[in-house]
Amino acid sequence: MKIQPYGDSALLVTFEKKIDPEISRQVIGLQKALKDHAGITYSIPAYQSLTLGFNSTYLNYNGLEKLIQETFEKLNFETTEVGRKITIPVCYQGDFAPDLSEVANITGLSTQQVIALHTSKEYHVYMLGFLAGFAYMGTLAEALKSPRKETPRLKIHEGAVGLAGLQTGIYPAEAPGGWQIIGTTPLKMFDPEKEKPNFIEAGDTIKFRSISEDEYKIIKLKIDTDIFQPEITNG
Amino acid sequence: MANSLKLHFKKAGFFTSIQDFGRFGQQDIGIPVSGAMDKESMQIANYLVGNDDSTPVIEITLLGPEIEIEGEGQIAFAGAQFSGKLNNQALPLFQTIDVKTGDTITLKGTATGCRIYMAIGGKMDEPIWLGSYSAPSDYVKHAGMVSHISDGYELTCTTHKKVDSRTIAPNKQPIYTSCTILRVVTGPDFDRFELASIQEFFEKTFTISSDSNRMGYRLNEALKQYKANSEEISSGVIPGTVQVTGSGKPIILTADAQTTGGYPRIANVVTEDIDLVGQMKPGDELRFMLVSLEDLY
Repeated sequence: MKIQPYGDSALLVTFEKKIDPEISRQVIGLQKALKDHAGITYSIPAYQSLTLGFNSTYLNYNGLEKLIQETFEKLNFETTEVGRKITIPVCYQGDFAPDLSEVANITGLSTQQVIALHTSKEYHVYMLGFLAGFAYMGTLAEALKSPRKETPRLKIHEGAVGLAGLQTGIYPAEAPGGWQIIGTTPLKMFDPEKEKPNFIEAGDTIKFRSISEDEYKIIKLKIDTDIFQPEITNG
Repeated sequence: MANSLKLHFKKAGFFTSIQDFGRFGQQDIGIPVSGAMDKESMQIANYLVGNDDSTPVIEITLLGPEIEIEGEGQIAFAGAQFSGKLNNQALPLFQTIDVKTGDTITLKGTATGCRIYMAIGGKMDEPIWLGSYSAPSDYVKHAGMVSHISDGYELTCTTHKKVDSRTIAPNKQPIYTSCTILRVVTGPDFDRFELASIQEFFEKTFTISSDSNRMGYRLNEALKQYKANSEEISSGVIPGTVQVTGSGKPIILTADAQTTGGYPRIANVVTEDIDLVGQMKPGDELRFMLVSLEDLY
């Protein structure tokens, strides 16, 4: 773990340079332990780093450095609360999956194999970024590895489930982007009207479940009437 | 009602938005900080009408709006030296202005600086989201919040008791030039740059690209010796971070910047100088000056 100044009112904690769920759990464990501490103004957990902003009337650089070291030593990763397990329904058919056949071509798999592989694994949420509520998840099966689209789309629809390299992600709102879109979830990944607008948070474990277009519509209807029960268990 | 003031934006101007200090503590879920690009000018404008420092203001960029007033109250402008009209008179800046129904305010352009802030004495009847009135990006659609003001927008304020006229003396007003020196400290990835790129970064005079906005200021010149490493892992970025893109061109991240990024961070603009970034406009010149954290404390 390396701690260094980041501008004059933030600090960057860096872990081993590697995309690995174990390292990510250390980042998120430290972030959860410190984010509400007096004088910490904001935190940005990422793959193998944690940015911490501080208010210099409460904390100084040396004080915060010491606090980080002490907090990290006390964290017990065996018992530290791990994130939730969430199942996300995805429709991998027709217009919901505009790049599914392209991904099948790139990977040499059938579209059915792409869906089977994407839904077979549990994915770790490393961080939220790019757009409010956009979760970077991994790691995909090596066989699914696909490059970003050569020309990014100007518009990707809300709920689009995409692939890029060995990562998978869900667009929380309509936005431009270059990810390969292989499906769409009816779930609302980001709802500004809610006190906690993001559905997923860093540290959660995600599994995708393939649904039909009919089931997509039924879930959408339930969400619109506020009677949908998401599949969440505390890990 | 006597205690309300309505602003009718006949023309919105180039980019006019509602801003305050921004929305801290939400970057972990990917929500940018936002907030006024020049917070000092925002606070001066608020002082002139008797508001708290953190009261939301209207941020006006490069080409100002045309506003018709309904009701009675006080307003003030602080920031870049925009030329403008209050009815047929020159619009006074850096002082309290009493306005009444029928008054028209037109802001034109500015020779130096980029943004001016309009404060209204009282409280805006606008939505607040996660602790801030600042407009979020186009990709966050919170009820009633607009990323910027468009032609025909109506903004209502509940006015408070008028203050005795306040003025900032000309010798106390900020001066912006078309060549700015920004103080920076080394960024977290400074050691990954070779000496030639570091020298170039501090010796070069950069110019601001017309592709700059509230998310970031792009610079036109590239660090010629710079070779990008493709193995970057995304990490947190904050306003004031100077990243170097694959082409070697630096970007200074500002208020609406994304919360994570993958480009190496060569430097960070010191907090006090971030307001100066918000007053630079396309074509302006810029140099970076390295300082140590010890110099700042």
